[in-house]
Amino acid sequence: MMAAQIAENTHQWRYRLDTSLRVSQRMRRTLLGTVPVHSPLYKLHPLTRFVTLLFLGVLPMFIDWPEINIMILVAIFIYLSWSRVDLSGLKIYLPLTITVAIFMFAISIGFPGYKPDYVGFPFMGLQLFFQPLFFTLASYWRLIAMLFGTIQYFSTNRERDTLVAIRTLHVPFVISYFFSLSLRAAGMFMEDMRIIREAERARGLDETALTLADRAKLYAMYLIPLFTLAIRRTDEITNALVARGYTLSGKLENGNQRSDYILSKYPFRLLDRALILGMLCTFVLVVILRVGFGYWSMDTDPLRIYLLAMLLGGGQ
Amino acid sequence: MTRSMKNANECLIEVSKLQYQYPDGTHALRDINLKIFENQFIALIGQNGSGKTTLAKSLNGLLKPSSGYVKIDGLDTRVKGTTKKIVTKVGYVFQNPDHQLFSNTIEKEIAYGPKNIGLGHDEVNQRVQDAAQVCGVERGLFQDHPFFLTKGLRQRVAIASILAMRPKTIIVDEPTTGQDLRQSLEVMNFLRDLWLHKGHTIIIITHDMNIVADYAQRCVVLTKGELVMDGATREIFSQPDILAKAYVKPPQITRLAQDVLEYNFPKDVLSVEEMIQAFKKIARKEH
Amino acid sequence: MKAISCQELSWKYSGRKRFAVENVNLDIEENTFVSIVGPNEHGKTTLVSCIKGLIPANYHGIWYGKVEIFGEDNRNITGQKMASEVGYVFADPESQFTSMTVEEELVFGLENIGLPFQVVHDRLEWVSEITLIKELWDKSPYEISGGQKQRVAIASVLAMKPRIMILDEPTSMLDPIGKDSIFDIMTNVKNETKMTIIVVEHNIEQIAPLSDQILLMYEGQIAKMAPPEEFFNNSDFLVDHGILPPQATAFVDRLKQDGFYDGVLPVDYEGGVKATRQVLQRHTA
Ligand SMILES: Nc1ncnc2c1ncn2[C@@H]1O[C@H](COP(=O)(O)OP(=O)(O)OP(=O)(O)O)[C@@H](O)[C@H]1O
Ligand SMILES: Nc1ncnc2c1ncn2[C@@H]1O[C@H](COP(=O)(O)OP(=O)(O)OP(=O)(O)O)[C@@H](O)[C@H]1O
Ligand SMILES: [Mg+2]
Ligand SMILES: [Mg+2]
Repeated sequence: MMAAQIAENTHQWRYRLDTSLRVSQRMRRTLLGTVPVHSPLYKLHPLTRFVTLLFLGVLPMFIDWPEINIMILVAIFIYLSWSRVDLSGLKIYLPLTITVAIFMFAISIGFPGYKPDYVGFPFMGLQLFFQPLFFTLASYWRLIAMLFGTIQYFSTNRERDTLVAIRTLHVPFVISYFFSLSLRAAGMFMEDMRIIREAERARGLDETALTLADRAKLYAMYLIPLFTLAIRRTDEITNALVARGYTLSGKLENGNQRSDYILSKYPFRLLDRALILGMLCTFVLVVILRVGFGYWSMDTDPLRIYLLAMLLGGGQ
Repeated sequence: MTRSMKNANECLIEVSKLQYQYPDGTHALRDINLKIFENQFIALIGQNGSGKTTLAKSLNGLLKPSSGYVKIDGLDTRVKGTTKKIVTKVGYVFQNPDHQLFSNTIEKEIAYGPKNIGLGHDEVNQRVQDAAQVCGVERGLFQDHPFFLTKGLRQRVAIASILAMRPKTIIVDEPTTGQDLRQSLEVMNFLRDLWLHKGHTIIIITHDMNIVADYAQRCVVLTKGELVMDGATREIFSQPDILAKAYVKPPQITRLAQDVLEYNFPKDVLSVEEMIQAFKKIARKEH
Repeated sequence: MKAISCQELSWKYSGRKRFAVENVNLDIEENTFVSIVGPNEHGKTTLVSCIKGLIPANYHGIWYGKVEIFGEDNRNITGQKMASEVGYVFADPESQFTSMTVEEELVFGLENIGLPFQVVHDRLEWVSEITLIKELWDKSPYEISGGQKQRVAIASVLAMKPRIMILDEPTSMLDPIGKDSIFDIMTNVKNETKMTIIVVEHNIEQIAPLSDQILLMYEGQIAKMAPPEEFFNNSDFLVDHGILPPQATAFVDRLKQDGFYDGVLPVDYEGGVKATRQVLQRHTA
């Protein structure tokens, strides 16, 4: 009986070796998600990708017009889908965006404040005011655009990409040293967290069955073991760094610079130069126009002007 | 074989067409079909990266199948809200005990599981006592920090913390890695006791073929995420050709007997003692 | 030339009652393969940490005696020189990782000793090729199997081609064939580059035939040090000290005790087969 089973399994195995050449898509784990290894995104230099963080994450701060911020948001999604990031993975941020919306609009409707030029209108039995409402709308989209400008970076890049970006800028070694050490510490912290959670799940912890309060308590409880682990990790990493000759100065004993193989693996192309230059120029231009000349401020928003006119026209 | 391998006993875990893919696309398990029965001692072997740990974690619901299913006492691991029930049926001791210990005293460590499945104070205490005693963790150590124990003790605390939930099936991932002879024997004999006298099903993952030969009654061999052999240890080791394809090497003494087969040595010698017996028989007969 | 020389070496961790390593005198010639065996907690790791200089630099405790690396007191050797002279593979591969991808991990040491791009590139290719980890480059070293972690840890030190390489239980999680291949690699490197190799191991079967010397650590002291042919000739002593000889050796030893065999004890499998054949030929007509 047993022998027959072995024979059968072996037979199946031979058969399967021929048919199991199914190639599955290789993915690369990033800080917040996964991206196909062959994403066109990775043709761009890490520094270029890093600049998109500044560009997309900060630019909306200087723009009040919601229609432009929505366009930036659309651009972010196009960029992500061109990078072949699975957009459905972004679903997890939906609750956050909805919560923020409810919170902001509830405050603005409940506590609109009052100024003489406020234009009121009734809506489903409520007395609403246009100006504070539109202000909230604009702030909301600005915030969401900034949020996704940041999320896009962290869901397409790893610690390594950020390190390469920083080192490309030739900041002093001590700075990049501490930066990389803290990135590693963050990475290990997350790793330890994952380990502890898995250990707890192996002993019956069911996070999906917890209430929000319980979950908060749980996370607070992680701090103790994480702290102990961190102490041990510090010892370990000191040993590990020393054992392979890492020094704070970044200099060799003969005075030369430590070599940087990983960095030189990333080609810095003309396209990267052009993109970075383009993004920086646009950024500077927007800041100058906004701060110096009041472009894209709330009062000048065509959408706002149009709606206000409608409201005033319709009201009279 | 001292015990019946199949049929007579109840099926505890049923795995059907199990596939598992990690988020980065690594296809770690391909189409695994497997049944684990009551009161068996099973060794899960195979080369590095063949998917043993992945399979073990799937057997207690830590990893959910990408397709196919794992049923524990009829309970599908993919169904939400079954975690607490599953851990009282199948326990998994991690490959690295450091990945399992997180409390700041040994007592809390062992008590975590029983508390978590909602047992009362007295029952929890009782189980901590029992598990600690069975695993040879002395009371005097209860307030020590698990991180700063010796390797052997850490391993035992890890097993105790799983045992405290009294699962029928216990999976231990590489129980003897880094342990010396005495401690390896200790932990293996302890696992054998659980199997022989307490009715547990034990699944070990190991690269030490001598241990497989000495302890396991049934052997499951994985290669590149596929289950290629499943059967009685003796039968598995008597097929070196197929084993070689799975990058598994039987114990030295088994190979030695197989290399001098022309003298009528049995193909399935599992220990030096058996080899000596066989030799004496042959030498006497031929004289 | 002497690669390593320990003189009256003792070390006690602070807070411990006993010395973890006590009065060790040890000379290791260049280009030899030394295996260190012994039960848990008997000072194997402590001894090799003293040689590498991690003790006393990164630990608290009491130190007596002296360790010399190629004739130079190891406490006077600077960090980078030490890194390129003495490679050290930790027992727990995870405690050795400093990077978040395997590729970075492999080049980390090479970058630190300032090797030029092409050399780093060639070493990276070479080491990944022989240790079979090329397809793991892009993964996180925490998200691979136990044995793969161990391969990465070994490869990242081997890539530096140090003059002395210390490996603390480097293959505890490798499959039997993987163990063989790692030790084959080590032997080849030893022969090609005059490397001196020290391996701490519990599993003696694979390393015995490769070793020039086997050293038994017991209660912080060297209980026995001999070439493998001599090392196993008193199996009761070994078993008392927690060491089990390889099965083939043990079998032939039993034949010897029962008067069937009177030759030299084999230390490797092939030798075991040969001796067994001899005995069988003689005792079957
Ligand atoms: N967290 C993870 N993310 C992605 N891939 C993983 C992860 N863990 C393991 N793998 C991959 O899945 C495959 C199977 O790994 P697994 O840990 O199950 O192997 P194993 O049989 O336990 O090997 P070992 O004997 O070395 O412990 C390997 O190729 C490994 O690289
Ligand atoms: N960091 C430390 N602090 C205090 N004591 C330690 C430390 N590391 C080891 N010891 C103690 O020193 C002694 C020797 O330990 P060591 O780790 O050298 O043993 P080993 O032979 O390598 O054992 P194993 O086979 O378990 O790795 C033990 O008694 C141990 O408890
Ligand atoms: Mg494993
Ligand atoms: Mg040790």
